[in-house]
Amino acid sequence: MFTRCPSPAHAGAVDAGPNSLIDAVVLALPGTLPVMNRVAVEMAMLVGLALHCRITPRTKWDRKGYFYPDLPKGYQISQYDMPLCADGWLAVPDGDGPARKIGVLRAHLEEDAGKLLHERPGGGSEEDLGFSIVDLNRAGTPLLEVVTQPDFTTAEQVVAFARALRNICRFLGVTEGVMQKGHIRFEPNINCTITLENGRTVTTPIVEVKNLNSFRSLRAAVEHEAAEQPRRWERDGRVHGPGAKRTMGWDDARGITIPQREKEDAHDYRYFPDPDLPPVVVDEHWLESVRSRLPELPQERETRYRAEFDLSPKEAATLVEERDVCLLFDAAVGALVQRHVPRPRAGRLAANMILQSGLKRAGERGVPVSELGITAERIAEVAALRERGLISAAAADELFGLLCVPPGSAGGPAPNQSVESIAGSRGLLLVRDDAALDRWCREAIEAQPQAAADVRAGRSQALGRLVGEAMKRSGGQGDARAVRERLVKILTEPPTEVGGSCS
Amino acid sequence: MTASATQIAADVRARRVSAAQVCRDALARIDAANPRLNAFLQVFHDRALEQARAIDARMARGEDPGPLAGVPVALKDNICLEWGRTTAGSRMLENYESPFSATAARRLIDAGAVIVGKTNLDEFGMGSSGENSAFGPTRNPHDESRVPGGSSSGSAAAVAAGLVPVALGSDTGGSIRQPAGWCGIVGVKPTYGRVSRYGLIAYASSLDQIGVLAGMVDDAALALSVIAGPDPLDATSARRELEEFTHDPSTPPPSLVIGVPRQARAASHHAAVTAALDSAINAYKVVGARIVDVDLPHTDHALAAYYLVAAAEASSNLARYDGIRYGRRSSPAREGEAGEVPESSRAEGGLLDLYCRSRSEGLGPEVQRRIMLGTYALSAGYYDAYYLTALRARRLVKTDFDAAWAAGCHALLLPTSPGPAFRLGERADPIAMYLEDVYTVGVNLAGLPAVALPGGRAGEAGSRLPVGLQLVGPAWQESSLLRAARLLEAANPVPRTATSAPASS
Repeated sequence: MFTRCPSPAHAGAVDAGPNSLIDAVVLALPGTLPVMNRVAVEMAMLVGLALHCRITPRTKWDRKGYFYPDLPKGYQISQYDMPLCADGWLAVPDGDGPARKIGVLRAHLEEDAGKLLHERPGGGSEEDLGFSIVDLNRAGTPLLEVVTQPDFTTAEQVVAFARALRNICRFLGVTEGVMQKGHIRFEPNINCTITLENGRTVTTPIVEVKNLNSFRSLRAAVEHEAAEQPRRWERDGRVHGPGAKRTMGWDDARGITIPQREKEDAHDYRYFPDPDLPPVVVDEHWLESVRSRLPELPQERETRYRAEFDLSPKEAATLVEERDVCLLFDAAVGALVQRHVPRPRAGRLAANMILQSGLKRAGERGVPVSELGITAERIAEVAALRERGLISAAAADELFGLLCVPPGSAGGPAPNQSVESIAGSRGLLLVRDDAALDRWCREAIEAQPQAAADVRAGRSQALGRLVGEAMKRSGGQGDARAVRERLVKILTEPPTEVGGSCS
Repeated sequence: MTASATQIAADVRARRVSAAQVCRDALARIDAANPRLNAFLQVFHDRALEQARAIDARMARGEDPGPLAGVPVALKDNICLEWGRTTAGSRMLENYESPFSATAARRLIDAGAVIVGKTNLDEFGMGSSGENSAFGPTRNPHDESRVPGGSSSGSAAAVAAGLVPVALGSDTGGSIRQPAGWCGIVGVKPTYGRVSRYGLIAYASSLDQIGVLAGMVDDAALALSVIAGPDPLDATSARRELEEFTHDPSTPPPSLVIGVPRQARAASHHAAVTAALDSAINAYKVVGARIVDVDLPHTDHALAAYYLVAAAEASSNLARYDGIRYGRRSSPAREGEAGEVPESSRAEGGLLDLYCRSRSEGLGPEVQRRIMLGTYALSAGYYDAYYLTALRARRLVKTDFDAAWAAGCHALLLPTSPGPAFRLGERADPIAMYLEDVYTVGVNLAGLPAVALPGGRAGEAGSRLPVGLQLVGPAWQESSLLRAARLLEAANPVPRTATSAPASS
């Protein structure tokens, strides 16, 4: 936040060794000074704007003082009483009901602390080690702390908000949002109101669960506390009030919250404005230049997809769930439009490819569709072939799979080979020979005379049997749609001519 | 005595003398005088000569070695240098080696200066006498039984003794001007933000400023013009164009107006201080300046505000000295207990215990006193009463000065201290020591530039101790302030260096 040092949250620094992403400023060597990272402030403003916050026109940096080995300066530079962003909201899905509006109290920037390890990296306890070890790679990294209003009543709402927030941050490009890497951490504050038999209510003390780094553990921790707090109250009788709040950690293996190692016995952070850093003045010009960089956010996209491409609510929601998948979809739509597919139709075709062929394989491999290796161009090529009736649905899916390989890797199709040529070389192109089509259909009618009679009598559900029969005779090379059209045409012709043509 | 920096640079650039010869002479003077003065904590014999020879080599290749070509310069030891140790006068940093050089040091070196050594100081800049160094007190070259002032004690003594023509110091509440006054030399405290603080070991960040100690105003102006200017590594350094600090001294400033605050005279002053003030006023009158009376009504509050603000910032700035990453770490409390993890961090051998022991052993009594004072002032429940009140007083102090500028003053004339240097150990009471800063701290609270220069001599039994005066100017007006100082320097000559002073009685 205040150093030029690379951040461990940056894609290029993923495998950095302990204490390798540090410099004199991070280490708080004597004589060093912080200098504000303007880009980090702009990223924080983007998040604030996306959360409908007010951006504070003049804010400042404060020092929060406490001693801990993961905090090299003995204070953390943060924002105490003038957060950069305040008073916002975010509407999130709430089961089958209407979206729930969650208030955002504030979002302030600060520098992250390092990590203190009480265990050896390869295992073993603090007792074995005899001391604790410090990794300062994360120290000094910009951290945006978003504080919501107490607007949640269920763990589902909490997770829905958490997911929506992560997705917004990804769309804004302010973090990769990889939970396992600690790019986003959640610290839910939970308490319960218990209604007694006499109608009186008691409120349990707030518990803050620190550093949850998966949606699963977030949900589990909230559910655990919600269930545990009434029992805890029965045991100790402690109720909500000044000084009653507790900080807990999460034991993922046991699925329970545990009391935390306290940093200092008494929490007096002795905040005061950092004299090393001038106040931050966000003038209209700066704010507008940041606002102009706001991309189309997931919820806006969802609405647009439904309107523009006539997608179902579920389809639209699935497409915007992951930024990269969403961008892949957009690019595929664009590539189809370039191939002269009308835009509304292009959206439907791209959505079908991504939500069917794509999701199926993504599920198998445990990666998002955007990481399958298929490009938007290739998706559009496959969808366009299908649209022109040159390949079957099954062949489209097979081609999609064939193209899900990292470019240039062995075994896959050459990057410059067109999808049509790949389909041709694998016998996946449909036969457009009218004579062959006609032969398969008439053979099918002969083989299923009862079905043919039913269709002629107006019982069109029998057509499926004939289509299946004709497809079987084509060995899969027929286009089901073309077969169906041809069958209808033959069966609606006068019977004599049918008989005549058979002779 | 040494030649001036201006003269040395001119001679080296004209190849009348080699930088190496200048350097050898300076090192010889330091080696001879330092055992008595304790002005230098380190002398870079080899490295300095190496630097000097490199300057000569550049001259031989026809390159321009810079405006300070071959000038021997000493750095206060709270200014980081990437060679040697940087101790801040503290046991805590006794063996600390900085991996980088302060921006001001870097600029000196780039301008051709030769860094001959690091000078003694009150620990982390906290003191007004030089007695708070963990490495022994510096002595005043005018009278070795007396203190040189502080906290830039070694830099002031080194210049006053003629060991170097120029030294860098830092001024948080008078740490350049007060020792300059007591050592009879010139000291420049620039406007806050004029010189980068990057690489200056922080005492009080909103007050600290690196400046220059020199034998004469021209030398101070020359060095200031080298170290001043914006620095991307210090967010509080001002993005201002540099002005010309090294004016032609013969040009008289147009209709100079000098304000003399009512508070500059007090019954408790040493008579020599009042005499120096009168002498300077007369000198200014003679050269045609107008003298006006001004009032700085909040002078009394400045001292209290300073000791709260500075202590509060210091308590935070010095939190990093925990013995974990660098600096002095206390040895384990007991032998044979390695591997046992105490139940509580407060317990013996616990984390808090390690912090407490390392800091108690590594930091001196005055530093601990200010950390405690500042921690208290920032604590919940006391913040409003102490820290916020001090900030309000700070604004009032600034308002006092603003009123003087609005009344047309170009500079204010004030003593640097109420009296001349005292004897070592004479001020045992910290409050009595703090009172010595009454004329200097207001300038830091208001962020203004000020120049201290010799005002006269106090004739005490057997010795003639220097008495200093200071000129305070509006923010960013160093150029006209230095001009006013040159004028006084020429019109009111005071014997400058200590070499002719009788030895200590």
